[in-house]
Amino acid sequence: MAVNETLRVLRTLRYDARHFSLFLQAGTIGPQAQPGQFAMLQAGDGWRPYLRRAFSIADVTTWRGVPAIEFVVKVVGVGTETLGRVAEGTPVPVLGPLGVPFPIGDLGPGDRVALVAGGIGLAPLVLLARHLSEKGIQADLFYGGRNESEILKRADFERLLGPHHCRYASDDGSLGRHGLVTELFEGALAGGTRFRRVYACGPVPMFRALAGILEEAKIDGSFAFESAMACGFGVCLGCVAPTADGRFATICREGPCLPPSAIDWSRL
Amino acid sequence: MSTVDLAVQLGTLRLKNPIATASGTFGYGLEFAEFVDLSVLGAISIKGLSLRPCHGNPPPRICETDAGMLNAIGLQNVGVEAFLSEKLPELDRLGATVIANVWGDTEEDYCAVVERIGAERRIAAIELNVSCPNVVKGGMVFGNDPVALGALVRKVREIAKRPLIVKLSPNVGDIVSTARAAVDNGADILSLINTLVGLAIDLERREPKIGFTTGGLSGPAIRHVAVRMVWEVRRALPKVPIFGIGGIEKAEDVIEFLVAGANAVQVGTANFRNPSVSAELVKGVAEWCAAHGESRVSNIVGTLKTRPRPEHTYA
Ligand SMILES: Cc1cc2nc3c(=O)[nH]c(=O)nc-3n(C[C@H](O)[C@H](O)[C@H](O)COP(=O)(O)OP(=O)(O)OC[C@H]3O[C@@H](n4cnc5c(N)ncnc54)[C@H](O)[C@@H]3O)c2cc1C
Ligand SMILES: Cc1cc2nc3c(=O)[nH]c(=O)nc-3n(C[C@H](O)[C@H](O)[C@H](O)COP(=O)(O)O)c2cc1C
Ligand code: FES
Repeated sequence: MAVNETLRVLRTLRYDARHFSLFLQAGTIGPQAQPGQFAMLQAGDGWRPYLRRAFSIADVTTWRGVPAIEFVVKVVGVGTETLGRVAEGTPVPVLGPLGVPFPIGDLGPGDRVALVAGGIGLAPLVLLARHLSEKGIQADLFYGGRNESEILKRADFERLLGPHHCRYASDDGSLGRHGLVTELFEGALAGGTRFRRVYACGPVPMFRALAGILEEAKIDGSFAFESAMACGFGVCLGCVAPTADGRFATICREGPCLPPSAIDWSRL
Repeated sequence: MSTVDLAVQLGTLRLKNPIATASGTFGYGLEFAEFVDLSVLGAISIKGLSLRPCHGNPPPRICETDAGMLNAIGLQNVGVEAFLSEKLPELDRLGATVIANVWGDTEEDYCAVVERIGAERRIAAIELNVSCPNVVKGGMVFGNDPVALGALVRKVREIAKRPLIVKLSPNVGDIVSTARAAVDNGADILSLINTLVGLAIDLERREPKIGFTTGGLSGPAIRHVAVRMVWEVRRALPKVPIFGIGGIEKAEDVIEFLVAGANAVQVGTANFRNPSVSAELVKGVAEWCAAHGESRVSNIVGTLKTRPRPEHTYA
């Protein structure tokens, strides 16, 4: 059940000028959060930006013994910039956990799954990796970014999944394969690895390519979609995407995690 | 504080307090039950209903603006039938006072929805949306033209068995002439304002930020336009009950509408930012009244003191 509460900032961890992790008190949202769900955060005093902003619940963890929720944020505009400057102890209005999580309940020991991340799309996959590792399910990470410094939280993924199960691609070749993350993933398929399901989060071009690959290989998928959101809980009807059955689905309530086959890619 | 009488009377519609929620910003009410006790609100106006379910406009449908947002949802809704059978019983169980907001492309469409609602006792009032700027047909055609509006209201009034609210568009030269057309043809209550037509541009692409090109502006950015229009209609039509709508965020904003002449208000976009805001406003208004020695909220209505406007003088 979603909660509207105010959580204090425990810590901000900067990776570079454009990326940071924000740790808030876990409140009653943290313990309920499932991988793939998100929260709506008010940045600043509520006037600029006016609306709350959506962020994936990247991890549920602790900071100096205090239960914490971690968000991993890329600065792209006024809201993300404002959030990056909040001082420790600042109260932040948070609504969450929201949305349909990644489906993992049907997995069992012996299943093998893939996690595909593009850019800031790593965020929801950290908590997913944690839950999968707790369930003893083998998962391989394929993670692409612009360059080495934008490929974040590698130590966490490697600890949770095992270093041999984490593979990277970068646009400039500074880490891992020089090229696209979808090429990296296709390489694994070509090498004979079989996956029960592929969990993905990233930009639309990555989704588009991956949806094609999964359809071809007949592999089940669950993608964590993004969209501009006003409310985050299904009432403004602003965040919709076209569906294969000719409707518009709310990304915030019917998603964000949806099978790629649910989307009408030609109208997206 | 408990001594403040919050009840308000709008014609035959009696509300326990002047805080209602605005159509399209409160879903079908049920989505808010996690955050708000629906029975503490004056009323809820649910998402605009059409005869048949409607898919709405292709995305992108929304963008943020300074102190507000633009939307062109295109009236996506489940249709009146599904609302009555799937949502209304639960709303009734939760103790909500329900206003059914309705729209159509033609007079016949409006009438069909109103006919379907009939004398349904669990619907406290019907609100005609004649002012949606985000659809190609219907909607604003009625809202812009006093003659077309008058004809529509007269037809609907003949068949409506519940109190009839007409929701006015601010996208007109003279709000008083559409207000008068609605009232003269049988509107029991007016609600104003709907969104103001706006345009936001992505400069890199030189494209509209919204798929429909233009969208409806809402939020604090429009509040003072709305307060002014409520005041104008109140001056011209001293007796008509009015819901004031536009950019309400805090208790003081509610009071401002009441002073300008609204009998009650509807809270819109603020529900997106803070889903508990409507219930918080009920408390806030009671506190404001108590702090200002007002024992009845209805005593505040239309208490604006204006000075005569001076003619300009030349040096
Ligand atoms: C379910 C969900 C989960 C998300 N999780 C994360 C996360 O974990 N970490 C993270 O950094 N970001 C995440 N996002 C994206 C984040 O919400 C946006 O980056 C943020 O709203 C931008 O706000 P701003 O004020 O900084 O930018 P604005 O000033 O609003 O916009 C700046 C630029 O960003 C683009 N933009 C705005 N909103 C979005 C959006 N929702 N998606 C993509 N581009 C957008 C605009 O088109 C514009 O070009 C998520 C979005 C959704 C819907
Ligand atoms: C996303 C959105 C959807 C809306 N849908 C409707 C609708 O279906 N019917 C209607 O009469 N008004 C609709 N409105 C208008 C609001 O009810 C209200 O009149 C307007 O937003 C101004 O109030 P606000 O500034 O408090 O939001 C909608 C507004 C928004 C922002
Ligand atoms: S963000 Fe409002 S419906 Fe999805």
